[in-house]
Amino acid sequence: MRSVFILILILVAIAVLGPLLAPYDPTQINIPNRLSAPNSTWLLGTDALGRDILSRLLYGARWSLGLAFVISVIGLVIGATVGLIAALGGKVADWLAMRATDTFLAFPDIIAAVVIAGVLGAGTGSLIFALTVTGWMRYARVARGIGLSLTSRGYVVQARLAGLSPLVIAWRHYLPSLLPSLAVVWTGMFARAILGISALGFLGFGVQPPIPEWGTMLLDARIHMRSTPLQMIWPGLAVVACVLAINLVGDALRDALARQDRTE
Amino acid sequence: MIRTLAGLTLRAVVVLTGTALATFALLWHAPGDPALAIALARYDAVVPAAVVEQIRAQASFDDGFWSAFQTWLGPLLVGDFGQSSVTGRDVWPELMASLSYTVPLALAGLAIALALSVPLALLATLRPGGLLDRAAVALASIGVAIPAYWLGLLLVLLFAVHLGWLPAMGARTPAHVILPALTLGLGVAASLTRILRSGILEARAQPFLPAFRRRGVGARAIERDHVAPHAAIPVVTVLGLELAFLLEGVVMVEVIFARPGLGVFLVDAIEARDFPKVQAVVVLAAVLFVVVNLAIDLFYRRLDPRIGERDA
Repeated sequence: MRSVFILILILVAIAVLGPLLAPYDPTQINIPNRLSAPNSTWLLGTDALGRDILSRLLYGARWSLGLAFVISVIGLVIGATVGLIAALGGKVADWLAMRATDTFLAFPDIIAAVVIAGVLGAGTGSLIFALTVTGWMRYARVARGIGLSLTSRGYVVQARLAGLSPLVIAWRHYLPSLLPSLAVVWTGMFARAILGISALGFLGFGVQPPIPEWGTMLLDARIHMRSTPLQMIWPGLAVVACVLAINLVGDALRDALARQDRTE
Repeated sequence: MIRTLAGLTLRAVVVLTGTALATFALLWHAPGDPALAIALARYDAVVPAAVVEQIRAQASFDDGFWSAFQTWLGPLLVGDFGQSSVTGRDVWPELMASLSYTVPLALAGLAIALALSVPLALLATLRPGGLLDRAAVALASIGVAIPAYWLGLLLVLLFAVHLGWLPAMGARTPAHVILPALTLGLGVAASLTRILRSGILEARAQPFLPAFRRRGVGARAIERDHVAPHAAIPVVTVLGLELAFLLEGVVMVEVIFARPGLGVFLVDAIEARDFPKVQAVVVLAAVLFVVVNLAIDLFYRRLDPRIGERDA
């Protein structure tokens, strides 16, 4: 458990401090030294344009982790809102909100994101839109489920009888009970966003060059797989390390939550 | 039963309508002049304005969102997927041709996933918390964190570039399916192992099993009649999700291995802004999904009768 949080701390530090740690400018082209093997000058070697791979990885962390954070938090806000509307808004609102959720869930989300980002035109804006539109449904399901189970609780009934507006009830009495479970969903969606960003980048529909992003780096490296296979290893390794760490945090959170439920 | 069937069907229709609306709204808001894009893609040169206007009129782009939506939806409802806006050829035969590459790949991937995950989950749950169990959990955790496109590239590097045992790119021979199917299967196997493992553990912890055991019911009979069906419930629940995972995996894997299936069809269509092709894939996937989920829902109700009571 503790080692997991240390791992997370390292990831956050890399994302925040990455540019300070990077030895070179990640977009500095250096053709004479292109496709260099790792050595003491370029610790992880250089890419096809002679750019330092280590620097690109460190700058890339900001894009991959930062964008994934933004995407998963926007999804959380949308999803929790839809879920609470379903739980508190009466039968018609519930039906509408849940059918909307079903509609978006009815589709493999990464494919939907590829279609959306591709059709809207590659770029960071399309990328964020594509991954948030396809990434709020699980929050909505969880928020609605817990919300419905709260409806008959004493303090909620009291609040309603006291004439508090649904908005206040949702904010003060529902949200605090929802947050732990939403946090577990959030870890899953954060990992999904990292995978989604790099998948779209790999297909060429994501963050555009020369911005260093792990998926696009992988796409560039793929062509030179035979001559410099190591170049392809690093960005993939970065994605796997992040997703693994976040999944472990999610598992730890879920276990902690289950223990708490048992003791209650 | 008939009531639930009607309810579920109504739900499916609503979901499909929603998907159609969302798809059309997306195409409607795509940047650029769609008529010009089609004209440029079709004639590949400077196009006279009259041709652009003719294309625009044909597709009724100028009549506003709702009437354009109706013009768009009409043919789709009767299964007419139209013609490619680039080549002018019918979309349907090309879509079927690409499926003939995708379906074998998906089936092979699924077979590999089942062949790996079922024995692994059974072995892991022999002694929960034991060395084997922890190794299986660790392996599965790493497996779900590895993106398909990276795993695919690593396998190509090992088996095609270094060892030279297997072909990497294209789909000429049956051997070409091995590496893509392995890429796909390993990813699905990882998530399936996790689900199966927790399902089996939960099924074995049921309170009535010790009672059976004390009454002298054999271990084998308990496993078969009480543990296996119970462990199957979570697996069936996530079957829809697994199908999504499989389909997503297929798209990425086909792009990596240059296999001319649905994934390459979709990505090429997006890049060429060939919207009739894009929407054909979307509609096909949505229908497939809704039908499969409907079937899962019904099957699930038979497996676990409590569900029908809970949300009738």
